[in-house]
Amino acid sequence: MSDKQLEIRGLRARIVGGEEILKGVDLVVPRGEVHALMGPNGSGKSTLAKVIAGDPQYEITAGDIVLEGQSILEMEPDERAREGLYLAFQYPVEVPGVSIANFLRLALNARREEGDEIGVMEFYKKLQRAVKELNWDDSIIERNLHEGFSGGEKKRSEILQLLVLEPRYAILDETDSGLDVDALKVVSQGVNAARGPNFGALVITHYQRLLNHIVPDRVHVMVNGRIVREGPKELAMELDQKGYEWIREAVGA
Amino acid sequence: MAALTDNPAVSADAVESIVSAYREPAWLADERRAALRAYSDQPFPTEKTEEWRYTQLKRFSFSGLELAKAPKDESVPERIRMRIADSDAEGVIVHKGNKVVMHQATIKEAGVVFTDLRTALRDHEALVRAHLYDVVNARQTKYTALNSALWENGTFVYVPRDVEVELPLGAFTTADSGGIGLGRTLIVVEVNARLTFIDEYTSEPFAERLFFDAATEIVLKDGAKLRYVSLQNWSRNVAHINKLRAHLGRDARLESVTVSLGADAARAEVESRLEGPGSESEMLGLYFADEGQHFNQFTLQHHATPRGFSDVLFKGAVRDASQAVYSGMIIVDPHAQKTDAYQTNRNLLLDEVAEVVSIPQLEIAANDVKCSHGSTTGPVPEDQRFYLMSRGLRPEVAEHVLVTGFLYEVMSRVTLPKVAEYVERVVQAKLGVPGVKEKL
Repeated sequence: MSDKQLEIRGLRARIVGGEEILKGVDLVVPRGEVHALMGPNGSGKSTLAKVIAGDPQYEITAGDIVLEGQSILEMEPDERAREGLYLAFQYPVEVPGVSIANFLRLALNARREEGDEIGVMEFYKKLQRAVKELNWDDSIIERNLHEGFSGGEKKRSEILQLLVLEPRYAILDETDSGLDVDALKVVSQGVNAARGPNFGALVITHYQRLLNHIVPDRVHVMVNGRIVREGPKELAMELDQKGYEWIREAVGA
Repeated sequence: MAALTDNPAVSADAVESIVSAYREPAWLADERRAALRAYSDQPFPTEKTEEWRYTQLKRFSFSGLELAKAPKDESVPERIRMRIADSDAEGVIVHKGNKVVMHQATIKEAGVVFTDLRTALRDHEALVRAHLYDVVNARQTKYTALNSALWENGTFVYVPRDVEVELPLGAFTTADSGGIGLGRTLIVVEVNARLTFIDEYTSEPFAERLFFDAATEIVLKDGAKLRYVSLQNWSRNVAHINKLRAHLGRDARLESVTVSLGADAARAEVESRLEGPGSESEMLGLYFADEGQHFNQFTLQHHATPRGFSDVLFKGAVRDASQAVYSGMIIVDPHAQKTDAYQTNRNLLLDEVAEVVSIPQLEIAANDVKCSHGSTTGPVPEDQRFYLMSRGLRPEVAEHVLVTGFLYEVMSRVTLPKVAEYVERVVQAKLGVPGVKEKL
């Protein structure tokens, strides 16, 4: 078995002190592949995304998350990020007073040794390339992080950050929700630009429409806190035609 | 808590020795004597005194201290030289102890007076007499009485009618020895005139304790406009108390910002009295208390006229075993109809041992007004912290970004970039994350 993968093993988790939401999730995303995670509302998809990133409002009761052979359960969210994990948030927060440019410089430098901070020219080249990839205006990088951003702009910012930070594994939590067709294309273009042998992604979506633009290598279906089915990209289409009731019945969930 | 006690250094002899040393005019001598009587007649505040509730009174004690006199050394401290070099001020005065150690001004606008109060009394006595003690005087508090009786020097600014002073003027107040320090700023902006003024308090640490009692009197005549900055960054051996009060004429506008970063304990009383219809008062405040500092702020928006507008926004972060107290009052007189008055205080608690008390209050006697007040105190929002950390930022860097972001709302409203940059640097130094440079 290759070590170059993100592996979720028998993961059980709940909101601290609350009811169990993840009831034993098993999932593998090899580096170099893009997988889709689909499922009805409330099945636990977003919880899985946040638990992988280390959101402190959840606690893990069993199982493990293994990033290229190393358990990350004991790591703080910032350590996980520096290990190459990235979560594109469903609802990115607003942080006033810090520009996107400054924020990304801090985030990049957090991955480097002290005294080896990224050069100004190198940084802006990288940033401008990402901005261009998303057909965005250069002025966006001077705006405060998500302050006054529309829902679509926030989602675009999540992908901009992904392109600049170049994680090894990204979880995209319903990045398509609230996007019109044009924005969906732009965002998908950004994700596709990140694809390559050193990039693995888990794309969480409720609808098949995103997967027309980001074609997945595998599809996982989550119902009631478990992965109930796994298959090739055609599974997404089948789900779209038959609906989630079909899968519920099929697996007896 | 120990009660504050009287101090033998505050005496009739002390008043007379100032009067005779400077051969002061009789009217001023009488004012001082009356102020000393008012001082003696007023009790020290206690924890039960409403305006002083939650104040750690003993940290503002001056018992056992002598009146501060000449500095040990009359040189201008390097930190002030750097601040002056970095400013675009047209005129600067530096007070150290009871001495003026620097005064330079190249004011191109005609008729502007910018000098120390001693010189102003000599050269412009009628102007000083017409305004001194009008706004801050002995009848207000024990501390304003102390200041009114015993101030030795200060800063005087007069801007004649219709004159717009383009570049800022500023006073630096510093010290190198302890005692009771008394500072006074008197600013008079005539009809339709404009001014920007910065009062800055700063020092290198020195061994003795300094209790500094400042009085800032601001007179804005009809249509006058003033941007005023009070920037307190004393060393930690200082306790600072400041009554900063403005009277606003018809259509006058005040934009003030009061910044508290230094000192062991600091109390700022920031007050506006709107006396002329259409006058506008915007009072901003920013503070960041750490390592056991105690910051105390009181704001007053007194609408004594119809159609006034006032807005208060005080924001601060508190960490370690530090306290911030905010108490604010909006008073609307019965005839002050069509008043718009807003008051907001927001506090960020950076850990579990930091404390905040916030008491916004309204006293509205008119019936056709728009008033609101709000107060929030809470820790750093967990979702913001998680977001920043999920991008790889270490917890201390994430905190830095969040404090900066929290204070940004105030700093973005300060229209003086040099001041904003400096405050940003001091806040960063307090946060202590090297290599992090946010816009604040």
